[in-house]
Amino acid sequence: MMWETTITALLTLAIYTILVGDNPLYKFAEHLLLGLTIGYSLVITVKSILIPQAITPMAEGSLAAVIPIVLGSVMFLRVHAKLAGWSQIPLALLIGAGAGAAIPAMMQARVLKQVSATISGSGTLDGVIILLGVIVTIMYFVFTRPHSGGWGKAAVAGRYFMMIFFGATFAYTVMSRMALLIGRLEFLLADWLGVM
Amino acid sequence: MNPLRDRLAIFTATAAGVFMTVQYFVSAPWMDATYRAILSWMQIIFACALIVGIGAVIKNHLTKIQRKPNERYYSVVLLVAVAAMAIAGFTGGIDQGSSFLWVFNHLQAPMQATVFSLLAFYVTSAAFRGFRARSIESAILIGAGLIVLIGRVPIGELLTPHLPSTADWIVNVPALAAKRAILIGIGLGMVATALKVIAGVERTYMGGR
Amino acid sequence: MQRRIIFALLAIVVIAVMLIKPRLPITVTDSTRGVYDQIEALDSGAVIMLSFDHEASSLPEIGPIGAAIAEHCFRRGISVVGLALFSEGNALGYDLLSRRAADAGRTYGTDWMYLGFRPQYTAAILGMGENIGDVFATDYNGTPITSFPLGERVRTYDDIALVVSIADGSMPTYWIEYAANRYGEKIIAALSAVMVTSFTPYLESGQLAGILTGLKGAAEYEQLLGIPKAGTRGMAAQSAAHVLIAFLVLWGNVDAWRRRKSDGTKR
Repeated sequence: MMWETTITALLTLAIYTILVGDNPLYKFAEHLLLGLTIGYSLVITVKSILIPQAITPMAEGSLAAVIPIVLGSVMFLRVHAKLAGWSQIPLALLIGAGAGAAIPAMMQARVLKQVSATISGSGTLDGVIILLGVIVTIMYFVFTRPHSGGWGKAAVAGRYFMMIFFGATFAYTVMSRMALLIGRLEFLLADWLGVM
Repeated sequence: MNPLRDRLAIFTATAAGVFMTVQYFVSAPWMDATYRAILSWMQIIFACALIVGIGAVIKNHLTKIQRKPNERYYSVVLLVAVAAMAIAGFTGGIDQGSSFLWVFNHLQAPMQATVFSLLAFYVTSAAFRGFRARSIESAILIGAGLIVLIGRVPIGELLTPHLPSTADWIVNVPALAAKRAILIGIGLGMVATALKVIAGVERTYMGGR
Repeated sequence: MQRRIIFALLAIVVIAVMLIKPRLPITVTDSTRGVYDQIEALDSGAVIMLSFDHEASSLPEIGPIGAAIAEHCFRRGISVVGLALFSEGNALGYDLLSRRAADAGRTYGTDWMYLGFRPQYTAAILGMGENIGDVFATDYNGTPITSFPLGERVRTYDDIALVVSIADGSMPTYWIEYAANRYGEKIIAALSAVMVTSFTPYLESGQLAGILTGLKGAAEYEQLLGIPKAGTRGMAAQSAAHVLIAFLVLWGNVDAWRRRKSDGTKR
């Protein structure tokens, strides 16, 4: 429907006015967006998680949800000046459990498998370059040792490898941001104005 | 400050952390059942934490309405939007055809995408004003960036077939090597931090005490 | 050059190219073909999990990838289980799959299902390895998942051929660390371009089964499916924008060099 598209287009243009300078139209759109996002999160959190996973099981007489509901309720004590400290307990459970699950997972996925792939892949010229690149980049990050002599030269090489990485990442960042702009302009030109 | 409560928090973090690590390696029926229970508790606790966060933002804007006359109108807009979305979602459902999904698809998602599309303009401006080859490092960065920038889009293939293959090589060899080193370093660092949390040394979740 | 002139230049170049619509050849990369071939090789009746791990902000870029993969799955008769580990991805994913399934004449509960959103991604990804029903007892609309034939079929990752994480951040890392590492699940990452360099090490090590990159990845996938859509349409403008930026970087450097030289001459 045209009026729906027009509303969306006007709000899109309101946001683009920031390119000219800060102004009330942009601020209005920004706060509207923030409010909608918060409202959305509230609805999804309650309807997708709390109701089916906590409230409904409790209402049906299941005791399995008692402990998490109690712990979750303790989180709400955060708003009380004197009792806020008790919200540390459920937070501690979240963070501790997350840390415990992460240790073997990260060690395996980010360290051991990556090291293994670096070594096992060094049978080709590219593999040798990768192996050397990983070593010299790690050497760059060892700041407890002075970067002088041979170590210093290796660290400089590590910096060069990182510059290549940052350059490639910059290019992909441009690609990503341009795709977003193209998407929005396509909406304005094709869906709203109908000139495409 | 409550020493008993603080010790209970540290004990909880340690116990949960040790259990989750040991559970990765050791399997027993009671451990598997406790593991599944903890995983489901985490969702509910996290959901409650999200609601606490939402409450804090609402409270902040209510305060602004009372104390900051210049900004109160924008805070009113925000709170009205929160209320409208909440009413739409709780009364009208979240399925296809609902007003909740309509507002999301026609207002929220497009505006969100538009805000991020602004970055295209800023990255263009930053590239012109900031990207100067003043040293070997910056020259390498700019050179690699330009090759990948043009090599990764169809026009690069038209200019010369060597450009896409060079861009590929840059991404899959030297850039990969650097990122891999960073990954390994970050992985080791995060494992160390996780161990510190479990050992009770890292206590930022307790407000830094 | 003033910032606003640069902004205007970018807008003019991109809009002009979008209106002219030049056709540029799109070469399918090995990376995209690899993903396509893996999905193509699955039996119809296999199940793929699509995880919408992104916000609405990246929708113009990775929405087309999600749409292309969903279309491919429905075309092949592959069942799709959707979910989200990002709040906004929840509604986006449900809307995308609903539309694609409706276009393909696929039935909810038999050919596709949408589980909903879970905020704590570690617990969600690990929990699904034990029992998907423990993590998602009900679907997006609150119906018990076991009341659907697809919900009865899919209990753990063993019943899922592969997981595609459609992401604009590092969520695929957690899929790798928890689902691939611990439960041996195959993970494909459909990424916003900005994240690609962060995940090439995982692809090279075999921890990721494939990567799709941004709007270009969508364009390539559409090429393989024979359906030029948003990805394909954006390629000319994408190329023009990249050329403009490259030109501005070079011009800025030449201009700075000339000034340094003339300052040196004056002294």
